[in-house]
Amino acid sequence: MGQIKYQLPPDEVLAPGHFACPGCGATLTMRYALKALGRKTVVVIPACCWSVIDGPVPYSAAGVPVFHTAFETAASTASGVKAGLDAQGDHETTVLAFAGDGGTFDIGLQALSGAAERNEDFIYICYDNEAYMNTGIQRSSATPFGAWTTTTPAVSPKAEKKKNIIEILAAHRIPYLATASVAYPDDMIAKIRKAKDIRGFKFIHVFSPCPPGWKFEPEDSIKISRMAIESKVFPLIEIIDGIDYALSKEPDGIPVRDYIKMQGRFRHLNDEQIGIIQANVTEDWERLRAKFAPTRKVSRSRRDESTGENKSSQTRNVTRTKNARKRAQKSRG
Amino acid sequence: MTKYKFTTVEEMPPLAFSLESTREIPTGSWRHVRPVYRDKNSPCHVTCPAGEKIPDYFELVRQKKYKEAWYKILEDNPLPGVTGRVCYHPCEGQCNRAGYDGAVAIHNIERFVADKNFKNRKLPAAVEARKSEKVAVIGSGPAGLSCAYQLSRLGYRSVIYEADHEPGGMLRYGIPDYRLPKKILDKEIKDIEALGVEIMVDSKIGDNVAWSELERYDAVFVAVGATHSRKIGAPGEDLKGVYTGIDFLKELSTGNVPKVGRQVLVLGGGNTAIDAARSALRLGKRVTVLYRRTRVEMPAVPEEIEEAEKEGVHFEFLVTPVKISGSKGKASEIELMKMQLGEPDESGRRRPVPVIGSNFSMRADTIISAIGEEPDLSFLPYSFLRKGIRLFVDDEHTTGVPGIFAGGDAATNPNGTVVNAIRAGKEAAISIHEFLGWRSRSNGVSHDAVKPEEVNTFYFPHEGRVEVPRITVQKSKTTFSEVNKTLTEEQALTEAERCFTCGTCLHCDVCMTFCPDVAISKDESGEYTIDYEHCKGCGICVNECPRGAMELVPEGAREAVEEVEHI
Ligand SMILES: Cc1cc2nc3c(=O)[nH]c(=O)nc-3n(C[C@H](O)[C@H](O)[C@H](O)COP(=O)(O)OP(=O)(O)OC[C@H]3O[C@@H](n4cnc5c(N)ncnc54)[C@H](O)[C@@H]3O)c2cc1C
Ligand SMILES: Cc1ncc(C[n+]2csc(CCOP(=O)(O)OP(=O)(O)O)c2C)c(N)n1
Ligand code: SF4
Ligand code: SF4
Ligand code: SF4
Ligand code: SF4
Ligand SMILES: [Mg+2]
Repeated sequence: MGQIKYQLPPDEVLAPGHFACPGCGATLTMRYALKALGRKTVVVIPACCWSVIDGPVPYSAAGVPVFHTAFETAASTASGVKAGLDAQGDHETTVLAFAGDGGTFDIGLQALSGAAERNEDFIYICYDNEAYMNTGIQRSSATPFGAWTTTTPAVSPKAEKKKNIIEILAAHRIPYLATASVAYPDDMIAKIRKAKDIRGFKFIHVFSPCPPGWKFEPEDSIKISRMAIESKVFPLIEIIDGIDYALSKEPDGIPVRDYIKMQGRFRHLNDEQIGIIQANVTEDWERLRAKFAPTRKVSRSRRDESTGENKSSQTRNVTRTKNARKRAQKSRG
Repeated sequence: MTKYKFTTVEEMPPLAFSLESTREIPTGSWRHVRPVYRDKNSPCHVTCPAGEKIPDYFELVRQKKYKEAWYKILEDNPLPGVTGRVCYHPCEGQCNRAGYDGAVAIHNIERFVADKNFKNRKLPAAVEARKSEKVAVIGSGPAGLSCAYQLSRLGYRSVIYEADHEPGGMLRYGIPDYRLPKKILDKEIKDIEALGVEIMVDSKIGDNVAWSELERYDAVFVAVGATHSRKIGAPGEDLKGVYTGIDFLKELSTGNVPKVGRQVLVLGGGNTAIDAARSALRLGKRVTVLYRRTRVEMPAVPEEIEEAEKEGVHFEFLVTPVKISGSKGKASEIELMKMQLGEPDESGRRRPVPVIGSNFSMRADTIISAIGEEPDLSFLPYSFLRKGIRLFVDDEHTTGVPGIFAGGDAATNPNGTVVNAIRAGKEAAISIHEFLGWRSRSNGVSHDAVKPEEVNTFYFPHEGRVEVPRITVQKSKTTFSEVNKTLTEEQALTEAERCFTCGTCLHCDVCMTFCPDVAISKDESGEYTIDYEHCKGCGICVNECPRGAMELVPEGAREAVEEVEHI
């Protein structure tokens, strides 16, 4: 079998010289997204780290047009940009809304829900670094239970669980919904490419570690991302039409403790608290597992995984595209 | 950079916009550590006494370039068919995969490569220009063969003087056929001869060839091995039916099957003892090995002990012989004494001490004593320094007498193995080359090898070590044909794929894939360049490299950086 290797599209759309911190997961997310989508793409970025990362005027790192917009408006601006392109007869350019977790789970949720409900034809990528990083590590509703942030100090760390954005979006019955991780670039790129070929609203939730915000050495960004997947903290899944769940990678099931111990933001946790986190992760996993429990489709998609073939998902893709188109027509008509 | 000049308000766009690329911003200045590509040694290479470039030839195996792989091994070892079978493979003990899911079966791949090239082959010609000097080698065991071979690669002519009727030393007369078939050895010796090495058999220095005969050579390498069996020092040792392990095995290997009774007792715990026991078993006898310490202290290779056990050899530990008795000049009984382990001796093993009054007797039709071998240095003039029973040499294999070098089992610090003899021959050839006034290319093996924690095992899915094909135990204990088989091509390829290739870049692109700063690029020739104008020194590339072929060095330590870049 030999070594695991990745074959990524060679074109580097993202330029170096950007303003991300060393080891930034959000930046890798953008790099892979642009590799997947190519140069015929317009990116809409609300206030977040990425409004800084892209560079100060007159510089931009993205290599494609970027529209910087207000914190709460990623989805509504992207809807507008898409309508503008359509009005010009450009149905080819992909519109990508690229927002942080604050701009997605919190303040941008209303615009996001609206666009999802209207089944707007663009891709929304939420790079999730689990706090408001740009403004100095304040908690968001994506911050996990037990984590330290500047607004949830170690003496009273975050008491609430992370909001389940996936279920919120699944409830909107959007044609394509997926989670991805910077540690699995081939999986992420395949999902974004799939999303590109589907009409209607596509949402991709990407686990994007932040070395200064989570307090770990930048060199461990990928390792930590991988551990999040392997410990079931962040399952890699796809959901079609908000209903059909498929698992992209079976986690090894390493203890959550191993993942937590890598990060300073969890340093204050005692064994009991870590136990609670492990119990939550296990419970959430079981609940998720039940959704892709032994249906015919799931066993098919697993077989695909083992052979590396994508045949059945492609076929499903077609039906989905049809559904999506139908719905899109309905919403337009 | 293009400048935008707006002379009127109307010319200005409704929004601020950027048309320049951040490529112009030298974010590399943020960096305080610098990633560099730096191939490192693999622990297997550092551990292999012969210094085989294991990850390099494995890569050739994976590309199915079997001839090139063989040539790569031959740079360091002319006897891969031999070592692939009988080397005790210390390399595997240090393999970084050992703690993950089992060491790579290095010696089995080595054997596969050698066997794959068994037919239609020719060794590569000398690497250096021909020289006029001539070197004599005494002894055609692995040390002598390796030295003569390396000398011919360096352009020297050499003559090997061999006391026996055929070359090979213990490889021929010690190690039995079921572990090393003669045709393998013969082929590898022929290859060496084909390079111009002359082997004079039936030429014993100090006997039918005088020491003074060697004066016409420019240098001499003494590699006479340890061919004399140590005496047990018990009465009755000279009775009929008592053999030394070396004599017993030598008889067998020359085709004269020695007479042995039904109950065979073997004294000793080394390779000779085990080989004698397994050989006697193959003659259909009941065999018991008697050893004065316990199993863990046995110097024989553990795998061999296991094999012997599987085949049905019995073991008695913590016993020592007191007396052999018999009738009509023929041995029939041995008196033994029980031992117990005391304080550790200089070898670090616990010393066996007799238990007074514990004597008992055992029936013995044949006794094979194999308690160790010693070199016979009686042919050497007195001017040579000795240490204990061996000829004293320093790390360069010089004896103190100018122009005379020595190595292998006859000299100090051997560990009594084939591969150490091969190492000694190789190192001595380099020393001789230097003695004759040439500068040798550095052979210095640096010992900083990639540590297990520097391997990123994520990239290597679990895959257990290959099961070496072998004939059944039922069959093996009745025949002298080879027990272990060569890996199939498929097995060899799978096994070579298991190798992490510690420390050698395989151009897998992982470092480039994960750089958040797009600072790594690959040119047409497949080489990587790090753009230090933009690299922020996050270290992801170094941390993710599956095989420790990159390193982070402090920024600003210019010398360190330059040194590394020139490797
Ligand atoms: C039974 C047995 C099994 C072994 N099994 C293994 C094993 O599985 N793996 C392993 O790594 N090692 C094994 N060994 C050890 C290994 O064989 C030796 O360490 C190795 O052969 C030493 O090589 P050498 O060249 O120093 O000497 P030798 O192989 O002993 O060769 C010395 C040669 O010099 C010749 N010679 C001696 N005196 C003179 C003279 N005066 N003039 C001319 N020629 C002379 C001898 O005839 C002989 O051919 C085994 C040894 C024995 C005895
Ligand atoms: C309406 C509004 N409120 C507050 C801010 C300040 N602000 C800018 S970015 C940001 C946090 C962004 O967090 P997130 O979306 O998670 O992105 P990240 O910075 O973590 O990448 C905040 C609070 C703002 N720009 N606009
Ligand atoms: S010669 Fe021995 S130590 Fe060297 S690679 Fe072969 S088996 Fe390993
Ligand atoms: S994994 Fe390969 S390179 Fe590394 S020590 Fe083992 S055999 Fe040598
Ligand atoms: S990953 Fe990129 S930025 Fe980070 S150290 Fe390596 S080359 Fe530099
Ligand atoms: S990651 Fe792959 S390409 Fe990069 S240095 Fe390591 S082995 Fe070479
Ligand atoms: Mg955030």
